Amino acid sequence: MNRLWWIRVYALTKKELLQFSRDIVLLFAVAWFFTAEIYIAGSGVSMELNNASVVVLDHDRSEASREWISQLKQPYYNVLGHAQSQQQANVMLDKGEVIGVFEIPADFQKKLLLNQQTSIQLQLDASNIILGTLANSYSGLMNAEYNQQWMLKNLKVVDPDSIQVPMVEERQKINYNPEGKSTWFMPISDMMTVITLLSLFLPAAIVVREKERGTIEQLSVAPLSPFQILFPKILAAEIIILIGVAVCIFGIIGNVFQVPFRGSLLSFFMVTMVFVYAVSGLGLFISSVSRNLGQALMVSFMLLMPMLLLSGAWTPRESMPDFQQYLMFLSPLSYYIDIGYSIILKGATLQLMWQPLLQLFGLGTLLFWFGIWQFKRQFN
Amino acid sequence: MKWSRVKTVAIKEIIEIWRDKLYLSMAFMIPTMMMVVLGFGLSMDVEKIPFVAVDYDQSQQSRDYLHRFIDSRYFDYRGMKAHEKLAEPLMMQNKVRFILVIPPGFQRDLLQGQRVQIQPVIDGLFTFQAKVVKGYVSAINANYNQELMTQWLKKKQGMNSHEIAALLQPVTLETRYLYNEKLSSLWSTGSGMIMLVMLMAPAILTALGVVREKESGSIFNIYASTVTRSEFIIGKILPYVLISMLNLLILSWMALVLFGVPFKGDPLLYLTASLFYVSCATGIGMLVSTMVKTQASAALITMLGTMIPGIMMSGLLMPVNSMETAARVEAHLLPAMYQLNIVWGSFLKGQGWPELGTNVMVLAGYAILLWSLSIWRFRKRVNS
Repeated sequence: MNRLWWIRVYALTKKELLQFSRDIVLLFAVAWFFTAEIYIAGSGVSMELNNASVVVLDHDRSEASREWISQLKQPYYNVLGHAQSQQQANVMLDKGEVIGVFEIPADFQKKLLLNQQTSIQLQLDASNIILGTLANSYSGLMNAEYNQQWMLKNLKVVDPDSIQVPMVEERQKINYNPEGKSTWFMPISDMMTVITLLSLFLPAAIVVREKERGTIEQLSVAPLSPFQILFPKILAAEIIILIGVAVCIFGIIGNVFQVPFRGSLLSFFMVTMVFVYAVSGLGLFISSVSRNLGQALMVSFMLLMPMLLLSGAWTPRESMPDFQQYLMFLSPLSYYIDIGYSIILKGATLQLMWQPLLQLFGLGTLLFWFGIWQFKRQFN
Repeated sequence: MKWSRVKTVAIKEIIEIWRDKLYLSMAFMIPTMMMVVLGFGLSMDVEKIPFVAVDYDQSQQSRDYLHRFIDSRYFDYRGMKAHEKLAEPLMMQNKVRFILVIPPGFQRDLLQGQRVQIQPVIDGLFTFQAKVVKGYVSAINANYNQELMTQWLKKKQGMNSHEIAALLQPVTLETRYLYNEKLSSLWSTGSGMIMLVMLMAPAILTALGVVREKESGSIFNIYASTVTRSEFIIGKILPYVLISMLNLLILSWMALVLFGVPFKGDPLLYLTASLFYVSCATGIGMLVSTMVKTQASAALITMLGTMIPGIMMSGLLMPVNSMETAARVEAHLLPAMYQLNIVWGSFLKGQGWPELGTNVMVLAGYAILLWSLSIWRFRKRVNS
């Protein structure tokens, strides 16, 4: 690899970047997805129960029932008021106006005062799993709190810390994101999705465009090895994506959302480079095995969807069926998510994450050289 | 606009698709595969949470307490660590999501009728799962406490278990899940997958149709022919609408049979709305292809433009009602949310025209808008 070799790579990389910069719509799309889309998704989308509308069907209308209802408060619940009848409540549920109906029996207060057990019914719209799970969990916790207060009142205890009973108190500690802010989670997941899409497509798109315009013939007669033709394409994609990631991390994730970057920035960018290399290797492989753009796109689409949704960007991998967990060992994204999140939010070092990093690198190299090999075969 | 010409373009397109056997089989295989892989895989159930314990007490009582977690189907026990310092790296590496720390003197203090403190450490990375795990831990702990208190009160105060129960838990909350009685991810995200797959697949198939036309150069025949812009675009889209409708029927059937999702609504409404929806999706693919110069970027933008909003802004995972204003506006601007309302409404909730009518109208309007825009954007000139 002498000077000439590097000059050629440099010239070709410049050519790719120049070509990219001339496609205004593509340029705009890349910029949009690295900034505005991540901002909107990060600021507005959450897996959280927020302001969920509920109504109460209170057959008792007593002091005790009012007290119970008063616990259902913002930000989780938005109590729209009382339903007059079961029918009305059902209609509201069916229309999707409310997600839950709390039904309090007529003898609620009476039974409480008699020291008897009573129960409240919650009818919950479970069509969305996340809302259903959280609404159930939160109202259960609220009810437990109510029970505890009732018990203390009943025992005439003023200071709950003064009673001596055997009890296990939990001091829960949530690590890394103690307040459960989705602005610390969503934008990072979204950014990783965007990186994956772009690193698969940019090099593939660049190769395909050469084929489309016929300029690939010019390249193949030029005094360049297949590696020399492909390497600048990947390099160009790396440069574009790393610039995008830098803008996203400094501009949106760090600045707007104030996500604490606990690990080393350098390691994160390094890991991102390895990841882009791995995925663009996959992209090259796809574009060289497929005869036309149509096939290339269909194959990438087929690989992308499961990769994006099942690698753990939105839900942790352990909640998936076993065979799909094994399948995801083949997905570069699952390693990247593992390492990336650990570096950003958990402050992990590369020493700690060397194992998945090595696996990612190995997988990437395999894909990359397979892509080059395929590309060579095409020329012969 | 002459229908005979529209028909001719459509027939030409069908013949082309029919001859490309690989494309044809992929057109049907991709949605089906997606449905199986994602329907089963994208699970929001919070189960089998890997955890380790740090038990400084090593007593009968602490083991009993620990077993409450080990025996729960929500947790997956990954062993004991001697010290917290040894457990924390595991959490950093995402190998465990939860560490249970039991302090020394756990048994002694409880037997003496005193309070003890335990420290559950939860990985807050996945915010939704962390909240659910928090709830599980509290529930298991509360249950344990109730048993402890019951034993203690029986011994000390001589109360009977009936009185104790009324004292400790005067109000029980009974939750009944409507529309999805078992709170199953398969019913919810499984049927919702119809919306996601049928947004992306038709858009990409249509974009590919244009790609093929341009790649093979046969687009020049169109440029030179008497067919008008609107005739060409409509004739070109129709076969893809047909394929997508067939796919939609297959996917719906899979949801019913494979995932066991019930269908409670109005089939006619569902099919009408779906027809509009796949028209929207094919329209997106067409519009993007007419807007950008190279076909590679057309495909890229189609995929980015349908995949990310389809996952994030549809309400499939993240509920639209919980979104902030900007995201909610974006969700309302895209067709995905309306179709999700229709899919869940028809499958799970048994809704009909009164509840879903507006959604259908919006989808119809959206389809007309996209098709008109595509016709308007399409140029029969080769621009320099």
